[in-house]
Amino acid sequence: MHSFLYRANAVLTFSVMVLAALCAMASFSDYLNVPSPNAYLKVVNINWLQKQPNGNDEVSLKLDISADLQSLFTWNTKQVFVFVAAEYATSQNALNQVSLWDGIIPSREHAKFTIQTNNKYRFIDQGSNLRGKDFNLTLHWHVMPKTGKMFVDKIVITGYRLPETYI
Amino acid sequence: MTVDDESIDLKAGLTLVHTVEAHSRTKQIGLSYTLPMDWQGQKQAELLMQIILGVFAVAAFVVGYSMGSFQTMLLIYAGGVGLTTLFIVPNWPFFNRHPLNWLDPVEVERHPKPKPQPLTSKKKSSSKHK
Repeated sequence: MHSFLYRANAVLTFSVMVLAALCAMASFSDYLNVPSPNAYLKVVNINWLQKQPNGNDEVSLKLDISADLQSLFTWNTKQVFVFVAAEYATSQNALNQVSLWDGIIPSREHAKFTIQTNNKYRFIDQGSNLRGKDFNLTLHWHVMPKTGKMFVDKIVITGYRLPETYI
Repeated sequence: MTVDDESIDLKAGLTLVHTVEAHSRTKQIGLSYTLPMDWQGQKQAELLMQIILGVFAVAAFVVGYSMGSFQTMLLIYAGGVGLTTLFIVPNWPFFNRHPLNWLDPVEVERHPKPKPQPLTSKKKSSSKHK
């Protein structure tokens, strides 16, 4: 601490150490938040269900997505990434997950939303198993903090069924 | 001969220290970036740095958390770091209130170091003769 540079170095290193401690405390404070999100997913319409020339089934559908994810936001949340996936089992795969729609929620004000949309990404099966298939729609979210651990969770809504024939 | 050599060295060293000290005394009124802070000042500076940064960190976290704003926390803490830098890094006069009082070179000449000199000089002279 005797010279200018030693003191500058001491202030720099100590302040960065304290900053790290502040960030650690901020990320621990996220555990005090108990979120209570809710979501409502509805298939408004099956636009079409077809077999591609290569033999894979593809379906186009219209979704009604409404969710209230405001309780996921804390002071340490940068953004929340949400996506809707269709999940179903086939003889080939125990679990198929097909992402249909996604979005980035930048702030708490945008976290309560209702949208109606066709599937943003194509819903294609590996094979031709989609006719009459039961599937779940799952709203997944990743809470991305400013510092610390990313929280991942989902809401599963069951009981959807695709038509028995190609349309 | 060797004793004389040593005393000359000693004198030269002391006059050097003396001039540095005199220099620092003349400069003590203003800031000086090159001259060292005194021992007590260094201790105070380190303690002061830890206290200011700690207080600002706690205040920043409490205010930031209660306002729900991460940015506020960072801004308050950045202010604290700036203030600490301003307080600690320059060699302020109030860190130099306990200067080391060196003896005058004249005083040293009057009271030379008593006994270890003959021993070392004997060793040195013997080694030189070899």
